Amino acid sequence: MISLTHVTKLYGSVIGVNDVTVELGAGAHGLLGPNGAGKTTLLGLVTGQLRPTMGRVHVCGERPFANPRVLQRIGFCPAADLTERRATPREWVRYLVRLSGYAPHAASARAAAALDRVGLGEAMDRPLATLSKGMRQRAKLAGAMAHDPDLLVLDEPFDGLDPMARHDLVGLVRHWAVSTESASGSTRTLLVASHLLHEVEALHAGLAVILGGRLVASGTAREIRDMVDAMPAELRVRCDQPRRLAEAVCGTTGTESLRFEGDDVLVVATRQPRELAERITRVAVDDRLAIRELVAGDRSLEGIFSRLVRLHRGVAS
Amino acid sequence: MTTAQVSATAEPSPRLPPCGSWLAVAGFQMRRLLSRQRLLLAALGVVFPAAVMLAVRRTAADGLDRDLAVTMLYALVPEAVCMLGLLVTMCPAVADELERGTWVHVSVRPGGRRALLLGTYLTAVIWTGAVAILAILLALLVARVPQPLPLFGMLSALVVVSCLGRAALFALPAVILPKRALVASVAVALVVEYLAGFIPAVINQATVSLRLRSLLVEWMRWRQQLPVEMQLLVDPQPAVVQLGAVAVLTIAMLAVAVAILEYRQFPPSDEI
Repeated sequence: MISLTHVTKLYGSVIGVNDVTVELGAGAHGLLGPNGAGKTTLLGLVTGQLRPTMGRVHVCGERPFANPRVLQRIGFCPAADLTERRATPREWVRYLVRLSGYAPHAASARAAAALDRVGLGEAMDRPLATLSKGMRQRAKLAGAMAHDPDLLVLDEPFDGLDPMARHDLVGLVRHWAVSTESASGSTRTLLVASHLLHEVEALHAGLAVILGGRLVASGTAREIRDMVDAMPAELRVRCDQPRRLAEAVCGTTGTESLRFEGDDVLVVATRQPRELAERITRVAVDDRLAIRELVAGDRSLEGIFSRLVRLHRGVAS
Repeated sequence: MTTAQVSATAEPSPRLPPCGSWLAVAGFQMRRLLSRQRLLLAALGVVFPAAVMLAVRRTAADGLDRDLAVTMLYALVPEAVCMLGLLVTMCPAVADELERGTWVHVSVRPGGRRALLLGTYLTAVIWTGAVAILAILLALLVARVPQPLPLFGMLSALVVVSCLGRAALFALPAVILPKRALVASVAVALVVEYLAGFIPAVINQATVSLRLRSLLVEWMRWRQQLPVEMQLLVDPQPAVVQLGAVAVLTIAMLAVAVAILEYRQFPPSDEI
């Protein structure tokens, strides 16, 4: 569905996206990265708002920029808040559906159904200015989904939502992704950009991690975790004799590097964190070391993401 | 019947002619214009020429001369009111969308960019044209000019020509410099319409102001009475040529503006 080949996007001398190559098929995909990583630029390239400076972008087999055939099949919910004031959600979504080529009556029906689906049925005739940010977010989502696209692209879609609303919308978007084929008969694809890992994880989506405009990892959450497991993990030990502890563990299999932080902290990078932890415990008992703290690297997805960021910046070993 | 059921039973035929989306934009933009501020501005545009005509009529002891009244009305309405009205309605065609955060929604729709420009163009022409025609009506009533009906028809026709041509002219700065569109449009109005338009050379052939003046002179049958130096400021061709020239200019400028907008890229500001 989406194919990027050595895609680079420059804004003058500023790099938005740097040599990204990725293939995304049908199903749900998450695009992870901190603010300013290049997520929105990547989505801009996929949704035909931006042209790559170098490389090729194909969506549904064609270039999306200024291509109505491709744009007809895309639904996009941008991150920026909707500051349209006087229009109601019904008017706004109907307007967008009409721009997708629907006749006025059909557009009205689709707008109402989409707003019902996102839980704005009661508020669809109130001006957007009087709605909360979360409700405007739902209106944006309805606008993206109402014309039944094959590819739904969401940029920070759950931003500003309370936990209940977030839960509801995650369910709604997940259901959209796994439900039956779209009206055109194609299998649906969902691409969600977020800087919050749990949001993407909740969608059961495949992951692509982008940092500094580069794609640094892609695969399922499990594959990324395995990839990170293959990299050295860090154990941070606070004790009374860190130098004595360093002597004892430096010969341990899998140890990659050692460093001291202050007078009482030893940080060990290892490919076998479990074995190292056992070794440290034995050394502590045998040599009567007072271990005050033993912290392993965070193994949650959040921790993996944090480690990828650090690896990319050359901080981690 | 719930809305979901309505949707299920009303399956659309999505392939409508492109003008369907232009009309959708025009309708949406028209609703935006129906705000208190915009209506107040429009009312000012309707009343101002009449107020000027009233003031002049009161100072003239024997009433207003017909030719003078027509010249004043021409300067006030097809020139001033139309120009100001179009500056307010056409210039922010893209800037407003960027500011409201709606550009990104519209630009990812098939033909959305083109529809945005042409729909806004339609709105600008209809809105400004309506204001200007009402202004002519009121001003003619106040001025008490003899035989006002033919004058109303002629000046209304000039208003339509002015709106069609100049809205297309202002579409260019709106797409080239969206965030400075108003300043750029004022500069274009001054340089193109009022400087180049008054230069008696080939360059003034590409201005709407030359065509409007020529139509006025033609329809008022003033050509024989014009002093030689004034004849340099109008085109001797018949009205149909003037109208054709405005049509060609309008189509050319709109085509260029649409082509530019189709390929414009607005980078996400939070990433640069």
